[in-house]
Amino acid sequence: MIDVTFLLLIFFMCTLKFKTLEGKLAAYLPKDVGVNTSEAEEIEKVEVLIKVANEGNKLDARGEKPWSGEGRFVYDSTRRLTYKIGPKTMTNVEDLQARLTQLHKADDERPATIDSRPGTVYEDVVSVLDATLNAGFTQITFVGSYE
Amino acid sequence: MKLQKTDDQQEMEMNMTPMIDVVFLLIIFFMVITDLTQQDLEELQLPTAENAQPDKPKPDEFRPVVNIKQDGSIWVKRKAIYDPEAPDDYKMVREYLSDVAKMMEREKFDGTATTRNDPNSIPGEALLVRADQFSAFKHTQKVMEQCGYKGIQIWKLQLAASESEKDSDE
Repeated sequence: MIDVTFLLLIFFMCTLKFKTLEGKLAAYLPKDVGVNTSEAEEIEKVEVLIKVANEGNKLDARGEKPWSGEGRFVYDSTRRLTYKIGPKTMTNVEDLQARLTQLHKADDERPATIDSRPGTVYEDVVSVLDATLNAGFTQITFVGSYE
Repeated sequence: MKLQKTDDQQEMEMNMTPMIDVVFLLIIFFMVITDLTQQDLEELQLPTAENAQPDKPKPDEFRPVVNIKQDGSIWVKRKAIYDPEAPDDYKMVREYLSDVAKMMEREKFDGTATTRNDPNSIPGEALLVRADQFSAFKHTQKVMEQCGYKGIQIWKLQLAASESEKDSDE
């Protein structure tokens, strides 16, 4: 009896995973893919283009040594991106957010689209998504793959 | 007072009842603490975002999750459904997504709710995409691409991010 109880106890202790603080950001894909045959109407939108200016160096998961080619890697601080809205190019997320805030009008129903070019990683896109939400846009969509 | 003399056999007997009580209490504690809703979530490093809405699913809530690791492999419920070393053109991902799409609440193109059998409807629920912080975005784009296929047409997404710590001492 006590043996079984101890085993159960050990089982629950081992399977216990601490709750991670996790959140989510809402985003949308173009709705009119696939079956919708009607012509898409031209709507005004704010398009953010993300490009990689400098990929940066890959470091190992702890960020200490250069990446050996195995396991996880992280990028160091030399990684640079450029963000483009129309003709204007920005080199950091703060400027991008300032520009987006400028572009955002009250009761703005224009969607913002995020167009990420090859080489971007998930984090880059999430930071742009975050900046776009901070600027007040609510409809954010992704445009198709370029790879 | 005269002490009662006990033999060795009697001395060895221990009272187990309080111990069992304590152990049972511990078991109940760990059972309550263990969160089964986190079972679908792979160990990933997520980027931080200020606008991240806390993700607190109810235990029996239907919540589709797709995990993308840094190497591009896609995991659902602890199972790899796409392996970049054995590419299958995302067939299993599409199968999973179309199953998920069938289970979602449906809505019309203008956003009004409709029944599941309506042929002109699209899923009205969101798919949670969790990708590693430094995973190439093309892997996520591939999943998005599969979402657009006929019969799937999932258009609401949630990108997982960890909430930024506002009062960090580091």
